[in-house]
Order: sequence, then structure tokens, then C-alpha cells
Amino acid sequence: MDNTDVLLLARAQFGLNIAFHILFPSLTIALGWILFYFRIRYACSGDPAWLATYKLWTRVFALSFAMGVVSGITMSFQFGTNWPGYMEKVGNIAGPLLAYEVLTAFFLEATFLGVMLFGMNRVPGWVHIFSSAMVAIGTTVSAFWILALNSWMQTPAGHVMDGAAIIAGDWLQVIFNPSFPYRISHMLLASGLTASFVVAGLSAWRLLRAGDDASARKTLRTGLVLAAALAPLQVLVGDLHGLNTLEHQPAKIAAIEAIWKTEKGAPLVLFAIPNDEKRRNDFAVEIPKGASWILKHDANAEVKGIDSFAPDVAPVAPVFFAFRVMVGMGMLMLLAAWSGVWATRRGRLPQRWMLWAFSGLTFAGWIATLAGWLVTEIGRQPWLVTGILRTADAAGGVSGAQLGASLTGYIITYTVMLLAYMVVLTHLAGKGAHA
Amino acid sequence: MSLDLPLIFAALMGLAILLYVVLDGYDLGVGMLMPAADAREQELMVAAIGPFWDANETWLVLGVGILLVAFPAAHGIVLGALYLPVAAMLIGLMLRGVAFEFRVKAEGWHRELWNWLFWFGSFLASFAQGLMLGRYITGFHSGFGYYVFAMLVGASLCGGYVLLGATWLVLKTEGELQKKALAWARWGLIWVALGVALVSLATPLVSPTVYAKWFDFPRTLALMLLPLGTLAAGVFVWLAAGRMKRGAREPDWTPFAGAVAIFALAFAGLAYSLFPYVVMDRMTLWEAASHPSALKFMLVGVAIVLPFLIAYTAFAYRVFRGKARAGLYE
Repeated sequence: MDNTDVLLLARAQFGLNIAFHILFPSLTIALGWILFYFRIRYACSGDPAWLATYKLWTRVFALSFAMGVVSGITMSFQFGTNWPGYMEKVGNIAGPLLAYEVLTAFFLEATFLGVMLFGMNRVPGWVHIFSSAMVAIGTTVSAFWILALNSWMQTPAGHVMDGAAIIAGDWLQVIFNPSFPYRISHMLLASGLTASFVVAGLSAWRLLRAGDDASARKTLRTGLVLAAALAPLQVLVGDLHGLNTLEHQPAKIAAIEAIWKTEKGAPLVLFAIPNDEKRRNDFAVEIPKGASWILKHDANAEVKGIDSFAPDVAPVAPVFFAFRVMVGMGMLMLLAAWSGVWATRRGRLPQRWMLWAFSGLTFAGWIATLAGWLVTEIGRQPWLVTGILRTADAAGGVSGAQLGASLTGYIITYTVMLLAYMVVLTHLAGKGAHA
Repeated sequence: MSLDLPLIFAALMGLAILLYVVLDGYDLGVGMLMPAADAREQELMVAAIGPFWDANETWLVLGVGILLVAFPAAHGIVLGALYLPVAAMLIGLMLRGVAFEFRVKAEGWHRELWNWLFWFGSFLASFAQGLMLGRYITGFHSGFGYYVFAMLVGASLCGGYVLLGATWLVLKTEGELQKKALAWARWGLIWVALGVALVSLATPLVSPTVYAKWFDFPRTLALMLLPLGTLAAGVFVWLAAGRMKRGAREPDWTPFAGAVAIFALAFAGLAYSLFPYVVMDRMTLWEAASHPSALKFMLVGVAIVLPFLIAYTAFAYRVFRGKARAGLYE
């Protein structure tokens, strides 16, 4: 087996693992805070419906958290086994950031989760509320470190050379690198949207079974209102993130917009099938000068095309399509959330077709998050760390046969786990909350 | 005076791994004991580990994390050589982690299936960890004898975890189940004795360095305290279990404490054999260490966070002290 195949297998395995992993943090980061809100509502009102709600959703949280923990442990091993060159080259930066994640976040959430789940009758109310807060803070702090590292890999800053080694010159610059503020906001909002659609979707599912479920009505409304508030914010932050990417990773923008040639007054490609072999768009539908106008706010401005970055360019087609899936899902979620808020005004129950629609959109956030992740991670290829380390140079160490065997094992395990997760979630939601 | 940072991180890594082995060891052990119990007892067993297992597994991430970030060169060699057992362990940990959550929510044959997966995952993870240990301490040499040896260590580690799990149950349960746990503990102990003997004999045979370190009079006399201490702890657990089985009043934490002592002493012996190598006879911890700037930055974090970490871990164990009760989620 030659090197390209090993690289491909290493990427497939790591990509599968990380894609599977990201599903659960993207839900639990925000769900932790939603749970905290439920817990506070119960503490303030003493209403048993809020308690039942809280208990039901802590179960969903525990399940999702366990999925995140086990797939996260796998990742901590694969960093080294699949990408030995990565730690060798930038380990002095990546290592401490990962270590801080484990130290400040992982233990915090895992320990207080036990108290939150099983300790309600064992500790005073305020300690339990405190534990719920710690779990939420833990998941968010976790996201902070991981996004700091990911952003640094996309837009490195603050590092210096010490002989042959790359080390941090200024940790604040490493952490708060140019794309970090945009990326973390984008990710946290994505998590908020993912969680609110899961809450709304599963509540709608329950209401299809029993329309008079007081708890499910509360959570449907909570999910929809939260989504309706976050969706427009996400549009704004997404746009700012895009402008930031244009400044620091223009090659990624060229791939997203499928602009092959540098030109003045570049058209905006609405739809096309990018042809990576012939370096052009097939079946393109374009708005003349649209890209120049959107990206530079000047219809005649020059936009850099993929040709000006060659040969260091990402495959265009997956980035182009993933971006459109992400934006499309985002718009759909915005529309659904706003009409949902209207349909549930003053305690109304939405019509059945609408409940079906919300149920269908339960995991819409996952699709959007995964699509966005593909855009940002494929879009930065061939770099693993922009300008510093190529993906191909980081792989190695393990034979193709070992990768193949373990990849098969992972695929089977993940498929079983994901199916079981969805079945149990639907089952839990269908039964509803009980005080 | 400058700090010997690699040495500090090696000590921290050792501590994290020992804590992982003891803590996750008992919940893996309880997982492996599930088929030996009836449905009602299984609920109690699950309740005895429920609040802890998430945090217990986090110590593995810390241990491997330190290996990854403080000794990146060794991480590549060690985990590269152990690739398949590591993958098996991870799949085992995943299966049991989710099975633990799923089984609570499932009914009928679904529940049976998750119970089985919980057992299987616990067993697979424990056995794979033993394989890793067996391969690691023989310097990853290949050959039929080495593989058989690794399998035996795998089986022994399963026995060791069963010992930890059973003694944990002695601490957390009462009545019939506690009686059963005492019998399980003795079975585990036999395997532990085999494992400790195997590893103690094999390491000096495989590595002349280790041989020289242990058989160097008069230091050997002082060093003999380690195996003798381990033996004493084993005898202590065996006798305490016997007395409790006959109904004598004995503090219920003593067998678990004895089991922890066995692991700690065996671990200390292993650490002494290996030091200063992270990869047996190939790479010392100073050769494998990452840049001082990275280590310094991490040490600051460790110094600040570790006291809090210990404090809230202790807090969680305090909250859930006492005997486990069924109906974990109620």
C-alpha cells in the first residue's frame, strides 16, 4: 500500500471519528445551559412540570455526554497515532492547549455531572444548582480551548522559532489568534441552534403523541424562542466570520465561491458543479459582479481566484457544496423557528403538520454543523496548520492494514451507537416527562 | 535552581495512570462481574458506579494527554506500537460507556443486549489494557512467547480489575450481594497473584537493565520490601475477605484499601524498573520531553487546577458515600 492510501485512510479514520464526536459536544454545550435554565425555573416556581422537564432533559444530556466522552477519549489517542508529524511539529503549541482543556473543563464537567444526575436528593438545592452551572461552564470552557487550537491551526499567530522547534512566543496571541473570536462565536451559536432544535423537535414529537403534555409545550416554546433569537445572530456572525476568512484564508473563500480565476467584477456563483479536474464550473448559474459586490462591497473590485493560490488549493466541489448545505439549513432553521414562535404565541398548540415539520428538523443543527465543519476543514487543505505544516507531512507511523482493520471496527461501533442513540432519544421523548 | 520539568511531568503522568487504573479499574471490574449477578443485584452494582465512571475515565485522558503533550516522541512510538490493542480498548470503552446509559432506558431484550454489551465492553477494554501493559514492558518485542505473555498479562489485569470491582462492591453494598462480592474478590486475587508474579519474573529476564537494577546487593534487600509489601497486602485482603464472609465485624473499606495497596505497590515496582525510560531501554523521559516553554506553561495550569480537581473529586465521592441504592435515576 503506498503513502497516498495510508494518508487517505488516516484522514478517513480521523475524519469519521471527529465528525462523530462533534455531534455530541455541539448538542451538550448549549443543552447544559438550557438545563441550567430549566433548573432555575423549577427552583423559582416549584412547578413540578419544570422538575419533570429538567429530569427528562438531564437524561438526554447524560446520554449525549457519554457519547461525547467516549468518542473524545478515542480522539486523544488518534492525535498521536494518526498524525505523529503534527505533535512533532506543533506539539509545543497544541499540547498545552489540549492539556488545559482536560484540566480546566473535562474533569469539571465529568465530576459535577455525577452530582447533577444522581445527587438531587443528596445535596442541598443550591449545591445542585451550582453543580448544574459547573457542568454548563465546563462544556463551554471545553469549547473555548478546542476552538482556540482549531483557530490557531487555521490562522496561526504568536509563535516563534527556537532552533528547529516551533514554540509559543506569546500565549495570549496564540489563543486569541485572528480567527478565534469569530470561530468560537460561530460554534457556540451553532451549538445553541442545534440544542434548541433538538429540544423543540423532540417536544413536538411528544406533542404528536399527547397534545396535552404541559411539559412538552413548555419545552417546545423554549426551543423555538431560543432558535428564533439565535438564528439571525448566526447569520450576522457567519457573515463576519466569512469576511475574516477572506482576510486571512482567501484561498478558502475562493473555494467556497468556486471562483477559479482572479478577476475584477467577479460573478457570484449561485449554482454550479465545480469541476476540480478541468478547473472550471459546469452548469453555472451566476450573478454578474455579485462576488465582488458581496465580498468587497464594490462591484468592480478584484477578487482572488483559485489560480492565484495554486498549487496549494483545496478540492473545490466538496467545499462549495458543503457551504451551500450549511447556509441552506441555516435559512430553513430561521424560517422554521420564526414561524414556530408565531404558531405557539400565547400558549397555542401548532397544527399537526407543523409539529411533524419540527420533529423532522430535530437534527437539523447537526447537518448544518457538519457541513460547516467540512467547509472549514476541507477548505484549509492542503494545510493542517496554515503555512506551517501540510496534512500529508503529518501522517504516518501506522500501517495501512492496521488503519483499515481499526477503521472497520470504528465504523461498526459508531453506526450501532448512533442508531441506538437516536432510537433511545425518540423513545425517551415519546414517553414524555414525568414528575 | 531550575526545575526538572520532564521529571515532574513523568511523576504527574504516573500519578494520573495509577489513579486511572484504580478508579476505572473498579468500575470496569464491576462491569465484568455483571453476568454473575441477578437482575436486582445488577441494579445495585450499576448504582454503585453510576455517579463516578465518567470522571474515572477522564484520568485516562489526562494520563495519555500528558504522554502526548509532555513526551510527544514517546507517544508516537508507544501508541504506534500498541495501535491495535489501543483501538480494541477504545471500542470496548465506547461500548460500555454508552451501554451503561442505554441499559437504564431500555426494556426487555434490549436491556439484555445492553447488559451483554456492558459486560463485553468492560472485558474488552480491560483485556486490551493488559495486552498493552504486557507488550509495553517487554519492549514491544515480537515473537510467539511474547504474545502469549501479553495475553496472560491481559487475563491477569482482568482479574485485577475484578478484585478492585469486587472489593468496591464490598464497600458499597450489603447483605447477599456483599457476600457474593467477597467470594469474587478472592477469585480476582488469585489472578492478581499470577499477574504480579509473571510481570516480576519477565521484566528482568527481558531487559538486562531491569535485571541489574533489581539484583544489585545490598540494594536488593531494600527493594525486596516492594514484593513483600505486595504479598502482605494480598494476604491481608484474602484474610479480611474470609473474616467478613464468616460474619466477623470488619470495616467494609478494608478489602478495597488492600486491593489499592496491591496496585500501588506493583505500580511502584514497575516504575522503578522503567525509570528513567519512557520506552524500555530505548528512550529516556528527557529525550522524549517537549520544549521547556510548553512544559512550563502547562505546569502553571496544573499547579492552579490540581487542588481544585482533587477538592471537587473528593466532594463528589463524599456526596455519594455510603451504600448504593437501586433506582439511580429517581
